[in-house]
Amino acid sequence: MKRLTAQVADWLDNRTGFRSLRRHALDEPLPPGTGWWFTLGSLLLFGLTVQVVTGIALALFYAPTPDHAWQSVQYITTTVRGGSLLRGLHHWGASLVVIAAFLHLCRVVVFGSYRKPREINWIVGLVLLQIILAFGLTGYLLPWDQRAYWATVVAINISKLTPGIGDMVAAFLRGGPDIGALTLTRWYAAHVLVLPASIVVLVAGHLYLMRRHGISGPATPQPGRSEMFHPHQTARDLTVALVAGVLLAVLAWKGAPALEPPADPSSSDYVPRPDWYFFGLFQLLKYFPGRLEIIGALVIPGVVMTLLALLPWLDRGRTRLVKHRLSVLLPFAAGLAGLATLTVLGAMDKPPQTVGGAWNIRQIGGLASIQTEQRCVRCHRADGLAAPIEAGRISRPLDWLEMHVADPIVLAPGLRDAPQTNTGETRAILSALQRLRTSAPPHVDAETTHIYKLLSSNCLNCHTVDRVGGTEGPDLTAVGKKLDVSTIEQRIIDPTTVDPVAEMPPFGEKISPEDIKLLAAWLAKRK
Amino acid sequence: MGAGLASLVGLVASPRSAGPALRWRKAASVSDLPADAPFTAVLGERHQDGWMETRKQSVVFIEKDGDAYRALSATCSHLGCRVNWDAASSTYKCPCHGGVYDRRGNVVSGPPPAPLTKVNVRVNPQTSAIEVEL
Repeated sequence: MKRLTAQVADWLDNRTGFRSLRRHALDEPLPPGTGWWFTLGSLLLFGLTVQVVTGIALALFYAPTPDHAWQSVQYITTTVRGGSLLRGLHHWGASLVVIAAFLHLCRVVVFGSYRKPREINWIVGLVLLQIILAFGLTGYLLPWDQRAYWATVVAINISKLTPGIGDMVAAFLRGGPDIGALTLTRWYAAHVLVLPASIVVLVAGHLYLMRRHGISGPATPQPGRSEMFHPHQTARDLTVALVAGVLLAVLAWKGAPALEPPADPSSSDYVPRPDWYFFGLFQLLKYFPGRLEIIGALVIPGVVMTLLALLPWLDRGRTRLVKHRLSVLLPFAAGLAGLATLTVLGAMDKPPQTVGGAWNIRQIGGLASIQTEQRCVRCHRADGLAAPIEAGRISRPLDWLEMHVADPIVLAPGLRDAPQTNTGETRAILSALQRLRTSAPPHVDAETTHIYKLLSSNCLNCHTVDRVGGTEGPDLTAVGKKLDVSTIEQRIIDPTTVDPVAEMPPFGEKISPEDIKLLAAWLAKRK
Repeated sequence: MGAGLASLVGLVASPRSAGPALRWRKAASVSDLPADAPFTAVLGERHQDGWMETRKQSVVFIEKDGDAYRALSATCSHLGCRVNWDAASSTYKCPCHGGVYDRRGNVVSGPPPAPLTKVNVRVNPQTSAIEVEL
């Protein structure tokens, strides 16, 4: 058997030369002292491999059109066996790739590995970093949710700042007059065809050049014997990949990242925030007002990348030792500290406060309306005419939901009477349905839920509470500072008794006296 | 042959950037407008998006300005996010990078390089509807 295997291997080697390829790839002597710091490139390669494999699996289900993208991602998350884990792996894998690329870059700078004769490989590595960030940017448009849409709006508007050709670049990225179907298809093509092809070619080139010049090794020559890449370094590489793989699996097992509501260009409740690795740029953009915005958006990132690219020629230290290269390493450390500060500041810029986790007052009130016997649960229940309304199971597009909530007779003739029209309540129900697409409601006690229902059905159309609601009337977030409970109660019953020119309609006949008391007491506590 | 292929790909990938022509569209009724705050009008219309027909939505703030009306686009002039009216400070605020505009759309603080875009507005004498040119 052994002899037969050897004969087959000989035959294959004769035809393909695989043994010399394996020797060339693995049997390289390493400088003494090459150790764990030199596993970061392999960690990056591992992360990229995870992205390729999970990306192919996601592509089996994903539909790159605005009317199906969001639903196909939701289908992957909620219905495909292992789909949530798959999305989780791809999501956290993207973060792993960015972290590994960044650490690898830092290691190369600190060890001075970019120096002669490795200048070209350094440049190739920097281009790879740009491609990795482009993967992140194009990737998060694909779910076609709110984050996707608004991140793309910002990215395309940044590209408009390119001197001379900004409008042309933006139009090319958009594909059509507005962000829409043509944008999604070209960003999808970039994400799954153009960028992968580019990264494969560049990674191959990077590895070829790494082998051609050998691993640079420690900055300070170490005593001792050199060891072979295989099995010593491969064992370290595999260990690091294994640890990263376990960490990825644990993170992904906890669940796929929340899919936000579908892209809605008219939304005014949504507060866009980028992925964590763009927090630095996000924060930087706030500091350059007016015509100076190009400095934050393009000049500073461009200058940083140019300086990095020129490092092999700027670094004039006698040796690779840290003490001989302080003129390069100190500015690099300052840049890192700046990036870290901007990233932390960007992360601390939290979206407006919501109650009950990600659910706001309108959404909790809307859910209470959904669960009212006369409304949705009349049909939508386990033994009813329609499926129960559950978190993660809302798949109809917003247009359809609007029609259905406003007039279900059109869509389900004969099943029920026309709803009693109340714009505030309808809006709250739609808001709750949108929220239910991605997350289960928080536990809120019965009295608070009832108050939120009263607020969302009667008040939030015109007033704002906790940054949710209309702007026609005064903000009620801290109304208790100005008005006492009896004045608030009177204003709700009939505002003209307190203010003869008040435009607010009386609610004395629309809301029961007990509910008005409850509402007034709650509002009076808002200070 | 390579140049030919590259030209073909370039031709196909070059975008169609001309949007639909401007026209007057109903945004609100005179009675919709509150006395002391801008009215947020969401205008939706079917439009051709590549191979599919979809609904394009635009948001405009409309407010009485003396005897006339003022309409402002709700798109931040910085990087295109949707600004919101903040009743407490009587300003428009951008939730992305912190741009602030006064009620006439002029920049108060933050990074926006220009005021909010003014949208032409008129009252249709036949219907008393407020119309904007979008």
